[in-house]
Amino acid sequence: MAQGDPLDLTIIEAAAQLEGRRLSPVELTEAMLQRIAKVDKQIRAYITVCDAQAREVARAAERMIQAGYCLGPLHGIPVALKDNIYTRGVRTTAGSKILSDYVPSEDATVAARLKRAGAIIVGKTNMHEFAWGGTTDNPHHGTCRNPWNPERFPAGSSGGSGAAVAARTCLGALGTDTGGSIRLPSSVNGIVGIRPTIGRVSNYNVVPLAWTMDTVSPMTRTVEDCVVMFEVIAGYDPFDEHSAQVPVADYRGELGRSVHGLRVGLIRDYSLTHVQKAVGDAVRAALKTLEGLGARIEEIAMPSIHGNISAQLTIESCEPSAYHQQWLRTRAADYGEDVRTLLELGEMYLATHYIQAQRYRSLLRKEFLEGFKRVDVFVTPTLPFTATPCGATEVVIEGNRKEDMLSAIMQFTGVPSLAGLPALSLPVGFDPDGLPVGMQVIGRPFDEGTLFRVGHAYQQVTDWHTRSPRL
Amino acid sequence: MKSDDPVTNETVERLCAQADLPLGPERRTRLVPMLAGLIAAANELSRKMAAAAHQSILPILRFPER
Repeated sequence: MAQGDPLDLTIIEAAAQLEGRRLSPVELTEAMLQRIAKVDKQIRAYITVCDAQAREVARAAERMIQAGYCLGPLHGIPVALKDNIYTRGVRTTAGSKILSDYVPSEDATVAARLKRAGAIIVGKTNMHEFAWGGTTDNPHHGTCRNPWNPERFPAGSSGGSGAAVAARTCLGALGTDTGGSIRLPSSVNGIVGIRPTIGRVSNYNVVPLAWTMDTVSPMTRTVEDCVVMFEVIAGYDPFDEHSAQVPVADYRGELGRSVHGLRVGLIRDYSLTHVQKAVGDAVRAALKTLEGLGARIEEIAMPSIHGNISAQLTIESCEPSAYHQQWLRTRAADYGEDVRTLLELGEMYLATHYIQAQRYRSLLRKEFLEGFKRVDVFVTPTLPFTATPCGATEVVIEGNRKEDMLSAIMQFTGVPSLAGLPALSLPVGFDPDGLPVGMQVIGRPFDEGTLFRVGHAYQQVTDWHTRSPRL
Repeated sequence: MKSDDPVTNETVERLCAQADLPLGPERRTRLVPMLAGLIAAANELSRKMAAAAHQSILPILRFPER
């Protein structure tokens, strides 16, 4: 007999119950599908719910368990995939009208790896159109909403994946992250998400946004669950030209290590600057917690840190405009207004702007690699504000000054994207309105293990990740 | 284009022609203020990266496996 409400189980807990036959994949999947039916009219986290397929796979997973077979810790676990990740036989819209009827004939590598590990895909999640934006205010598939307060945005572009996990409609999800699209929705939905090192996880058969910055990765409620999904999808893929032939570490082994003596860096005049008060307070408190666990905090100067937003906007404008060049000339009216405008603007940069932005990435990376001689990780808030009202295009961070949402939202997440570094977002508190605050931990290239170690150590002594929205 | 050159309707019209991107006057007008902000910031970054101290820096298009 199942212990506890299946909706509240983590992946680790559910896997133990499935393997011990106290819970069946059919029961667990049914609970998730019923939850989707109950809450998703309000949240709009899903573009496609794969209910019939999920039930069929759950029955097969159950028969395997009854026969004594278990494919691993994801066997029978319901997950969701962002809708720019190809799924064989299931439409993959990338949140667009242009691809609204597109049904891939093969899976993305990450989807295939999850399936091979026994995961059950319950649906394809809502997203900002073609991943080019941070609100998931989608004109074609509905405005996605934040489960903590449906009047607020879930951020984006993987807003559907973030909302789906927070709303307890799946146990984990995949998102994609170019300039922050996993970490931003993880932060405002109160869950965990990691942007991997570029090349660590395959991008094969994932609709691109900006080729030199795109990544795919999990979004879950706990760091431990994130590790379980990450271990399944990480590793070399010959189909992805940017895939790295770097051995996958023992991430679960890292979770057992303490953070005593770990050196945590704060970037001077940046890490805790220009943030809403509640965000700054929560991150400072999290740093105190890490100090209490034996970590040491050190401030580091990084002279080139300012300039990152322009570099990100330049690259994230030019590369998508190259990918979308033909559609922008033949199907312009089929784009939402915001994405159409950004794609048009991306055609108006000079080649020198783009190249200087790519050179800036080298400079920024060099300063980070220098900084990593003194510290093991860097910490910032994930974004400088908590969830804004749905539809907002401006945000107030300090005083009464309104700032453009697109620039403000990438204040912290653009930096690791540009420098090619992994970064983890995890919940570290709530603002006075009950909206989650996230902290970003940035690591050395291919050192996702240290990020998991820091996040897991923090979650062992705090309970932010155990709280759930009332829906 | 220098950052002190104002971005105007004519600027956008010229860039559209260069990109072979046929946009109507209404859309071009809409882009002017946004492009002005983006280009000013991009030019500022370009000036920084063009400085002698950074002359040896190469662009990153693919990250090393280390």
